[in-house]
Amino acid sequence: MSLDKQNTPFVYTDEQLIARFQAGDEGAYVELVNRFRDRLINFVFQFLRDWEQAEDVVQDTMLKLYEKKHYYREIAKFSTWIYTIARNLANTELRKRKRRKTTLLSHMTRDEREYDLPAIQPETGHEVQTEFAEKRIQAAIHALPEHFKTVIILRDIQELSYDDISSIVDVPLGTVKSRINRARLQLQVDLKDLR
Amino acid sequence: MINRYQFEDLISEYIENELSLPKRKEFEQYLEENLEAKSLVDSVRTTMIQMKTLPKAKVSAGFNERLMATIQKDRDKLLTPAPSQKTYLGFTPIHASLMTGLVIAFVFISIQLFSPEGKMVNNQTQYYADDPTPSLSNPSLKEVNLNPPDFADLEEDSTLEESKNKPKKDFSKQMHFVNDQ
Repeated sequence: MSLDKQNTPFVYTDEQLIARFQAGDEGAYVELVNRFRDRLINFVFQFLRDWEQAEDVVQDTMLKLYEKKHYYREIAKFSTWIYTIARNLANTELRKRKRRKTTLLSHMTRDEREYDLPAIQPETGHEVQTEFAEKRIQAAIHALPEHFKTVIILRDIQELSYDDISSIVDVPLGTVKSRINRARLQLQVDLKDLR
Repeated sequence: MINRYQFEDLISEYIENELSLPKRKEFEQYLEENLEAKSLVDSVRTTMIQMKTLPKAKVSAGFNERLMATIQKDRDKLLTPAPSQKTYLGFTPIHASLMTGLVIAFVFISIQLFSPEGKMVNNQTQYYADDPTPSLSNPSLKEVNLNPPDFADLEEDSTLEESKNKPKKDFSKQMHFVNDQ
């Protein structure tokens, strides 16, 4: 038992890492980036539907973390803080996009490419079916109203707790639960033909 | 017994095992009596699983390197002092020259408006307007005769000259009166 303990590497919590980074340890920053970069890109991608833009937003989030590290106070979990930054930056990007009003064909084709990005080339009928279902679910999530979309992504894709989601979106816990439930029901309506 | 609205409100809590035991029993009783409701709960559960297993994207290779390069660039920018721009009384050269031009134009226009000559012209204009018998001190008005001659007092009428030279016509024979006939 004691040997097991010795072999297990010590893992810092996110909050410990940010504290170390605030104290000047840049290695802690790199560790935080490694922990959150993929989670954040999946989160942001659900809003932007554009791989390059999503990556830019994640990079901006990490830059903000670097520049504003002293703004973090340990009254909230680090994850909720970083998700809030990413969400705000993604919203800013969406607002910019709306202002530009560019629903160009080239953009749509890029979207299509993004849908294919994580998928493996389907070989069997089952894989084709799964890929089709994934695309339909992605599209149904994307079609949800903004306040439903954010909470369902955070809950069912990012698997965050209700409390964390409540902190990130800054609405009461009961409202978060209600929104998630209603979003799930809305998805059933949109995906009726898939069943 | 719960109704349809209560059932829909409790679906997520039921799937996530957050219902109290009595509420759970009530919910399950509703499901047994409504096959369509049971099917809806199954569908929600399936979608939740599918969402959890959606393919996860990853950042592209070299993300960290690009991030660190950007940080380094920002840091260099902060360390390098901004190129000092010469200012004249707080103005940049372009603004200073524009400002100088404006000041010169203002001074020039002011001189034109308030010069002693300008005042004199204005005073004289006022003077002639008020006085019905002005003196002809203004050199520009000296050539103007303000007391024109009285044509009634003239000895000769120039119009008479013309009549003198013209031969008079006799129209007496051409004139006939009604009573003459």
